[in-house]
Amino acid sequence: MNPLELAERAAAVARGDALAHVSRERSLMLRFADGRPTQATSVDDVFVELAVARDGHVGRARTNETGTDALTACARRAETAADAAAAASRRGPHPGFGAIRAAPGAGGAAHAGLANGGQQGEGPGPAAGPASPTVDFVGPTPTNSTLGALDASAGGDALRTVFAVAQRHGLSAHGIWTSGVEERAVAVSGGGAVLDRTTDAFLKVILIAPSGRSGYASQTARSAAALEPERVTERAAAKAAAAGEPVELPPGEYTVVMEPQAVGWLVDLLGGTALNGLAHAEGRGALTGRLGEAVAAPSVNLADSPGAAATLPRAFDAEGVPKRPTALIQDGVARAVAHDLRSAALAGAESTGHAVAPGGDHWGPHPVNLVMAGGSAADLEELCAPVERGVYVTRLWYANVVRPKETMITAVTRDGTFLIEDGRVTRPLRDLRLTDSLLGILSRVSQLTAGQELTSEGEFYGRRFAYGVVSPGMRAAAVRFTGASG
Amino acid sequence: MDAAARRADYADARLVRTRHERLATRNGALDGLDSLEAEGIGVRVRAGGSWGFAATAGTEKADAEEALERALAVAAAQPASPGTPLCPEPPARGEYESPAERDPFAVPLEDKLAVLAAADAGLRTEPGVVLTLARCEALRVEKLFASTEGALCLQRLTECGGGLTAVAVDGDESQTRSYPASHGGDVAQAGYEHFVSLDLAGQAPRVAEEAVALLSAPPCPPGRRTLVLAGEQLGLQIHESIGHAVELDRVLGREASYAGTSFVPAGGLGSLRVGSAQVNVTADATNAGGLGSFRWDDEGVEGRAVPILRSGVLAGFLSSRETAAEIGLERSGGCMRADGFARQPIVRMTNVNLDPGDAGTLEDLIAATDDGLLIETNRSWSIDDRRLNFQFEGEAAWEISGGERGRMLRNPSYAGMTPEFWASCDAVCSPSEWRLVSLLDCGKGEPGQVMRVSHGCAPARFRDVEVGVV
Repeated sequence: MNPLELAERAAAVARGDALAHVSRERSLMLRFADGRPTQATSVDDVFVELAVARDGHVGRARTNETGTDALTACARRAETAADAAAAASRRGPHPGFGAIRAAPGAGGAAHAGLANGGQQGEGPGPAAGPASPTVDFVGPTPTNSTLGALDASAGGDALRTVFAVAQRHGLSAHGIWTSGVEERAVAVSGGGAVLDRTTDAFLKVILIAPSGRSGYASQTARSAAALEPERVTERAAAKAAAAGEPVELPPGEYTVVMEPQAVGWLVDLLGGTALNGLAHAEGRGALTGRLGEAVAAPSVNLADSPGAAATLPRAFDAEGVPKRPTALIQDGVARAVAHDLRSAALAGAESTGHAVAPGGDHWGPHPVNLVMAGGSAADLEELCAPVERGVYVTRLWYANVVRPKETMITAVTRDGTFLIEDGRVTRPLRDLRLTDSLLGILSRVSQLTAGQELTSEGEFYGRRFAYGVVSPGMRAAAVRFTGASG
Repeated sequence: MDAAARRADYADARLVRTRHERLATRNGALDGLDSLEAEGIGVRVRAGGSWGFAATAGTEKADAEEALERALAVAAAQPASPGTPLCPEPPARGEYESPAERDPFAVPLEDKLAVLAAADAGLRTEPGVVLTLARCEALRVEKLFASTEGALCLQRLTECGGGLTAVAVDGDESQTRSYPASHGGDVAQAGYEHFVSLDLAGQAPRVAEEAVALLSAPPCPPGRRTLVLAGEQLGLQIHESIGHAVELDRVLGREASYAGTSFVPAGGLGSLRVGSAQVNVTADATNAGGLGSFRWDDEGVEGRAVPILRSGVLAGFLSSRETAAEIGLERSGGCMRADGFARQPIVRMTNVNLDPGDAGTLEDLIAATDDGLLIETNRSWSIDDRRLNFQFEGEAAWEISGGERGRMLRNPSYAGMTPEFWASCDAVCSPSEWRLVSLLDCGKGEPGQVMRVSHGCAPARFRDVEVGVV
């Protein structure tokens, strides 16, 4: 099945201004716990989403049947929804889908896309490089041999390596190995069709010591072949096997050194709150009325860079809008927020290519290729060096927004929290609850590592959509902790 | 199943058809009108001690056979593992359909939109309100389950409901009010009649007024206070700190990779104190209207009521055939549920309910409270990976002073540790106050699964709780 042809076929059966979004997922995931496999999942599925715009309202219908009758029925449902909405209320804010625009630098308007194998020139810094990461790529469906992504035996081998390293350290191993191929095609009735083909892989290892201490490490990559199970497991082992009884730190404000994984989580949360163009346009965003103001330390540079070498690249969003590098925070100054067609229309701006769903997702647009520029510290040890007494955080868990306009969040540390004393990590800490403002933390950044990592949580709810944040390690002052965990 | 029986120690298959319609208005315009129709088959096998699962969008015999091949292949690719025997279970046979007086999919879209438009307009009556949302949704899931043990059963479950939200802004201050609850409103295993009964248009002006009033309401002062929890906030408290903590896969470390573990040990049955003598909790898959209700779970175990806490002491777990066998239980708790055909069943909550007490009505409980706070609707939630340290914030709180409900406060956060918090529960209202509240967005599993659950509860009182922590 060719997703591009399917999208074009679906768009053709809809009447009026319509968009077809096809997503095909083929994926494998192996889970393990306590040093043995527990669950293994193989998915092969396709979804067709048809969106019809009428007087600024968008009706959507989805199906995973691909026959002409099913597509026609899907189109009628979307049309009925859009017609009913147009009849029931005043004009809506969506400008319609029109025709797909060519990405700057792309070979043509009709077919532009991106494969993981395509090497892009865009650098890791914010908004650097060419204007769009597109290359022409419309070919036969990738096969296991050409992409090397769906080989269950590779996963089995990875698990054997993880188990062997864990056993060597006397630790129990928990985690996942996963690999996937995604194809996403968008076609519009006004003309044009585009295709993204991407592969991704993710390995997460949590090792637990007999004492109950746990250590985490993970790796996000474009292909399973790039995963390094031995290195990842050794990193997790170093944390789980750390000597000493956990110390409980009283609530208060501490200087914090965060690994890229923890920074990535915070930055992703910022993407869904302060950088959300819909919240911004509706007057409830944290950056509403603040674009052009300093909102973070001058060392903070954050962009959505869809073609940066370290990211999981994407060429188009769910509305077929070409993605392009977008500077969001530059030298600490808020420059832009992410928009889809609807939020852009409400804000009087242009879409930045961040639609999560055609017509606009309920939660608004979301930047999925965030890159935070690095600083000058050689490594995490150098970040710790000037800290007299502070907290070293491997990762955060159950982060949730408390008050979005203040970017106030709460989260707990997990799987590798340590005390920093006199410039070095000394003892394990009981996990802590962090409650602070995202922009507040970023305004207190004092140093970043030069190197960055592609970080991800490897969460695949609903349709697989692999994305990550490229983040450096970070040191920030006076981060607020409101309690110790169990 | 014949083909699977020859090549696996155990196998089951689910053919799932899902129909889901979600309508929402936003500031008077259509926010989204999503209509999903999907079907497919999920095949689960156990071979040589390892599980394998494969999903396919096709529903023909050839599709099922291809999925079986992939399930066997992925099971075989894993390192060898000793398998725990499954608790015995009589093969599920028969058909079941959940009650629904009025088929929500038979109601014209225009009618639903008219209700939402009226409700949305009612929310836009107050200056200062920048965002209004009104939503309605309907879900129908048909599941055909078969296993190599001879199970063959069909069930058809229908859900319907909706809700309202208003967001008000003044300068840097933003406040939200929702009705009947914030997590997608209130949805029940019922027909369109449930949505109508919510009377969204009638409630909308009050919701908007409260959102605006919160902008200038005093903030919740920090300190230790008596807390009365009701409705959604109490349901979420049960969900996060008791429901997840007694999932047996978590207890056994099977979810350490993602959701985490639990402070509850497997050996704590009959001895571990989790709450006061007032606290009785039951997981009940037979509650009428509950989103955790079914005739059979997704591995063919008949839904039933399982005691979880009795007088505050651990009495049971949420379990599967495998996890129950692992700790020597005679029977699964019937808690395996899957999010559609493309996800395998995992241990999930059914309706995890706080049983009613004898404290009378909510007004009786307030009258019996000298000083405290009442919180009903949730705004923020977080809990650690062992389900111990939690921090919640409601949309609003009402002061209780001298046995009377007083002024409204904004930003009412509270925090605690699970066993201490439930040990401080000294009153639970009577059966007349007990009702189910729904949560539509419970995430768990890898690949991720979203599950819909309900929690039955009557308002309850907790002493000496840390409030105003944010």
